[in-house]
Amino acid sequence: MTIGVIKVARPREMSFPESLYLLEIVKGLGVTMGHLLSNIVRQEGIKTIEYPEVRRPMPPRFRGKHRLMKRENGAPRCVACYCCSTACPAKCITIVAGESPDPAVEKYPVRFDIDMLRCVFCGMCVEACPCDAIRMDTGWFTPPDDTREKLIFTIDTLLEK
Amino acid sequence: MPTLTLNGMTVDVPPGTSILDAAKQVGVEIPHYCYHPKLSVAGNCRMCLVEIEKFPKLQTACSTVVNDGMVVRTDTEKVRKAVTGVLELMLIHHPIDCPICDQAGECGLQDYYMKFGLHKSRYALEDKVHKKKVQDIGGQVVLDAERCILCSRCVRFLAEVTGTRELDFFNRGDHSEISIFPGKPLDNNYTGNLADICPVGALTSKDFRFRCRVWLLKAFDSICTGCSKGCNVDAHFKGDILYRLKPRWNDAVNQAWMCDFGRLTYKEMNEARLLTPFVREEGARKVAAWGSLLPDVAFRLKATADKSGADRVAVIASPQSSNEELYLLRRLATELLGTKNLAFTHRVAGDGFADDFLIQADKNPNSRGAQLLGIPDGAVFDALVSKISAGGIDALLVFGNVLGALSEEETAALLANVPFVAQVGTNEGPVSKAATAVLPSASVAERGGTFTSHVGRVQRFRFGFPARGKAKNPVEILVSLGNRLGAGWSFAGEASVFRALAESEAPFAGMSYDSIGMLGQEIKT
Amino acid sequence: MTGPLFDIAVTVARIAVFFAFCFGLVVVMTWVERKGAAYIQDRRGPNRADIFGIRAWGLFHPLADALKFLFKEDFIPDNAHRLFYQMAPMFSLAPAILGIAIIPFGPDVTVMGRTIALQIADLNVGILYLFAVSGMTVYGVVLAGWASGSKYPLLGGLRSSAQMLSYEVSMGLSLIGIFMVFESVRMSQIVAGQGGLLFGVLPKWGVFVQPLGFILFLVAQYAEANRTPFDLPEGESELVAGYHTEYASFKFSMFMMAEYLHMVVGAAVVATLFFGGWQFPYLGDAGFLFPGGFAVAVPPALVLLLRIGSFVAKVLFFAWLYVWVRWTIPRFRYDQVMRLGWKVMLPLSLLNIFATGLILLLLNR
Repeated sequence: MTIGVIKVARPREMSFPESLYLLEIVKGLGVTMGHLLSNIVRQEGIKTIEYPEVRRPMPPRFRGKHRLMKRENGAPRCVACYCCSTACPAKCITIVAGESPDPAVEKYPVRFDIDMLRCVFCGMCVEACPCDAIRMDTGWFTPPDDTREKLIFTIDTLLEK
Repeated sequence: MPTLTLNGMTVDVPPGTSILDAAKQVGVEIPHYCYHPKLSVAGNCRMCLVEIEKFPKLQTACSTVVNDGMVVRTDTEKVRKAVTGVLELMLIHHPIDCPICDQAGECGLQDYYMKFGLHKSRYALEDKVHKKKVQDIGGQVVLDAERCILCSRCVRFLAEVTGTRELDFFNRGDHSEISIFPGKPLDNNYTGNLADICPVGALTSKDFRFRCRVWLLKAFDSICTGCSKGCNVDAHFKGDILYRLKPRWNDAVNQAWMCDFGRLTYKEMNEARLLTPFVREEGARKVAAWGSLLPDVAFRLKATADKSGADRVAVIASPQSSNEELYLLRRLATELLGTKNLAFTHRVAGDGFADDFLIQADKNPNSRGAQLLGIPDGAVFDALVSKISAGGIDALLVFGNVLGALSEEETAALLANVPFVAQVGTNEGPVSKAATAVLPSASVAERGGTFTSHVGRVQRFRFGFPARGKAKNPVEILVSLGNRLGAGWSFAGEASVFRALAESEAPFAGMSYDSIGMLGQEIKT
Repeated sequence: MTGPLFDIAVTVARIAVFFAFCFGLVVVMTWVERKGAAYIQDRRGPNRADIFGIRAWGLFHPLADALKFLFKEDFIPDNAHRLFYQMAPMFSLAPAILGIAIIPFGPDVTVMGRTIALQIADLNVGILYLFAVSGMTVYGVVLAGWASGSKYPLLGGLRSSAQMLSYEVSMGLSLIGIFMVFESVRMSQIVAGQGGLLFGVLPKWGVFVQPLGFILFLVAQYAEANRTPFDLPEGESELVAGYHTEYASFKFSMFMMAEYLHMVVGAAVVATLFFGGWQFPYLGDAGFLFPGGFAVAVPPALVLLLRIGSFVAKVLFFAWLYVWVRWTIPRFRYDQVMRLGWKVMLPLSLLNIFATGLILLLLNR
C-alpha cells in the first residue's frame, strides 16, 4: 500500500510586473515600515516581555525550582524520610538525617541538597512527600549561576524560597 | 504423619506441627506478628486466623496443631474480613509516623496493610491514645511505645532466650504498653535482637537510628568477625559503606540471634581503613604504588633469607585471615622463604569475656583454622616475640592490625628491633604505625573466603562490594608475593585456593564451596 | 591669517568635520539598525545600557559595544597567517574611509573673502576615484577569509570576491549614463548640473534623468557593501559568520565599522549622483523659484543651511534605506546573485547606456 500522497499547490507563474520585483519590493518595504511605525506609536502592542522586571505569568501547575516548607516555628517541615530521594529518577536529592532538637519532631534533615543541574523537574519528589514539605510552586526556573557548587541548593537556600 | 488439606492442597507434616508451619511448607503465607519460630507460641496477635472445617470459630494457625484429616482454608471471605479487622484494631492507636520510623520498609504493619488491610481509618486522629516515644531503655534499642502492637515477642525473648526478663506489659486496654521496670534498663548482651524480632517500629536499633532507609540497603551473606563463634550474619550496605549486621538464621550456630558486641564489628570496616599502600621513610609516610611496592617487599624478604639465613626472616599470621589466606601464607613462609619463624596469636587486648550462649573468649573468627593449617599459637608465638625483641629477625611479614594483646607502645618498641616490617592489614592500628611497608587489604565485606569456627565449622563469607581505595584482596597480595618469590602459583581468587587447600590439608579434605553452602560444614575430627 | 596656513587649516578642518560626521553616523547607524530591526519585527530592541540610570532608548549601546570590543582579548587563531590576519581588517576599513574624500557636503561658501569648497578633494577624476578605492575593499574580505586559516572564512571570502567583481562591472556601467547627461565625472559638476529643472517642473536630479541607472546603481551598491539581500559572504546559516568568523575584539569591530562606513558613504554617493547632492528643490542662490514663476526670497545663510540640511537628510534617508531593505528582503541564493549580476544587471546597464546615448543624440541634434 502506498502511503498517502499530498498534492502540494505549486507556486503560480509570476506575472511580468511581479517578475521585475520592483513593485513587490516596494510593497514589502511598505509592510515593514507599517510595522515599524505602528510599534513606535503603540509601544504597548509589542509582545516582548522585559525579563527581570516583568515576568511571564506561569500557569498554576508549572513545576519550577523547589522550596522546602517550614513549620510554624520556622523549623523545616521535612522529617528526612528519604521518600523524595528514593522517588527521584535523577538521583539529585541528598539527605542526611539526624536527631531533631525538637523532641516532638524526632527526625530532621541535617543535610538536604538538591543538585539543580541534575534535576529533571519531574515533580516526583513532591508527589512522594508524605509531609507536604517539598513543593515546586515557586513559579520560576532555576536561575543561572557561574559555578556548579552554587547550583547545588542546600537546605538553607531551599527553606528561604 | 497427619495429613492436612490447606486451600485444597494436601500436605503431610510431622505430628505436633502447627498449621502456620505446615502452610509455610506448601508456600501459603499466613500473616502473623506474635509467632516467632524460635520463641514460644503466644497466640495473642490474632493475625493468623484461619477457618478450620467443623470448628465453629476461626482459629489461630500458630497455636493449632495439625490433626490428621484437618481441612483448613485461609482464602475465604470470613478469614479475610477477620484479618482485616484485626489489622484495623492494631492500627487504631498506631501513630502512622512511617516517615520518621526506621522500621519503614521492613515493617510488618506496612507489609500486611498493603496485602490484607487497605482500609480507611475509622478512628479520629485526635482520639488516638498517645504513649511515650523515643525511650532509651538501655542496650542497643530505642523504645517507641506508641508503635507497639503488643505482640510480646520481646517479652518472650527476654524470658526465654536471655532469661533476664527486663520488659513486661503495663496498664490495661488501650493504655497497655511494654516497658522496663523503673530504674532497671536492659542489661544483657543480646539486646540488639529485640530490634530484629520486633515486627513493627516499637523497638529499633540505636546504632542504626536514622542512618539510612532500609530499602536503599543491599545485603550479602557474611560471618561475624567478633569472636570464634562464627555467627552467620547478613551484612547490609549501600555504596561502599556497611550500615548494619543482622543475624542470619543458622540453627547449628547462632539460631536467629547475635550478640551486641558482634553487631558493632561492622564499624571497623568503615572507619580508619588503610586505603593506599605506603612506605615509611625516615619516620614519614610516603604513598607507594602497588606495582613497585610488591616487588620491593618480595625482594627484601628474599634477600634477607638468602643473605642472613632463613631463620632471620619471620612471618606472623593473623587469626582474622581466612583459611585460604592462612594456607597461602603458610606455604609462602615454609616453602618459599624456608623459615620456621611462623606463628600467630589468638590473644587480644581486653578481658576475653565469654558466656554460655554465643559469646566466645577467643575474639578472632579463625584461630581454629590457623591451628588446623599448622600455624602454631601460644608458646611458639611468645618465643618468636622474644627472638624479635632480641634482634634476631631482620625481615618480618605481619598480617593483621594488631600483634595479639600488645599495646601500641609495646608494638612499636618490638617492631623497632626489625629493620624491615611489611604489613598486610585492613585498618590503622599499632602495626601500621610501626611497619616499614604497609599493604592495605580488603575487609571481610570486600573479599570472600572461609572461616573455621571454634567448634571447627567451616563457613563462607561472601564478597559484598569492591574494596575501598586501593586496598587489595589478601589472596591476590599473597599470590603475587609468592610468585615473585618463585612459587609459580596460578590461583585466581579464593575458590581456587580453597580447592588446593581441600586437596592437601587433611581436616578440610573433601570440602568444597558447594558442600559448605550457605550454612557451613563441620571438619572431620 | 596668511594664505597657505589658511588653506592647511581649512583642509584639516574639512577632513575633521567630515570624518566626524561619517563616524558619528556609523555609530548612530549601528543603533538604528538594531532598533529598527527590532521595531520592524515587533520587538523592543536594545534598551538596557544606561548611564546614571538614563537609558535613552538604548542609545548607549553603541558605546557599550565599543568598550566591549576594546577590552576583549585580542586573539589570533593558531592556524591564521599572523601578518595578513592582522592586516585584513585595515584593508577592509581604509577604502571605506577614503570614499568620503570626494563627497561634496554643500555648495562653495565664502569665508573671509575666500571661496571654500565643502568637499575634501574635488578630483577631476571624481567618481572613478571612488570606483578605484571601493574596488579595494574586496582585498580586505578575501585576505580575511584566507588568512584566518579556517574553512568557513575561506568560503565566505571566495564568495564575496566573486560577488564584488560581478557587481563592480554593472556599477560602473550604470553610471555611464549620468556622465553622459551631466558631461562630467567631477562630483561638484554633477551636483551643480542637478540644480536645473527638467521640463520646467521636475528638479533635474539624476533619478529623473536616469531612472534605470539609479535602480541598477542602488542594487550594485548593496551588493558591493555586502548588505542584505546580498550578504552571502557572511551567510550565518551556512558559513557561521563568513570571512570574519575567526575575528574578535577590535579587529572584528573594524569589519563592522567598514560595513557601516560603506553604508554611509554609499548613501552619500547615491544622494550626490541621483538626488541632487546638496541641491534643495527649487532653491536658487537667492531664494525659492517655484514652477509658474512664484518666488520667495531667502537670506544667503539660510540657503546654505537648507542646502547642507538637504544633503544630510538625503544621506540619512539612504542610510536608513539600507536598514529598511535589510529587514524586508531575505537573502538571495548564491546562484541567484550571480544570475542577477551577469544576466540581468549587465545587459540592462548596457541597454541604459545605449538608450541614454540615443536620447541625447536625438535631443541635441
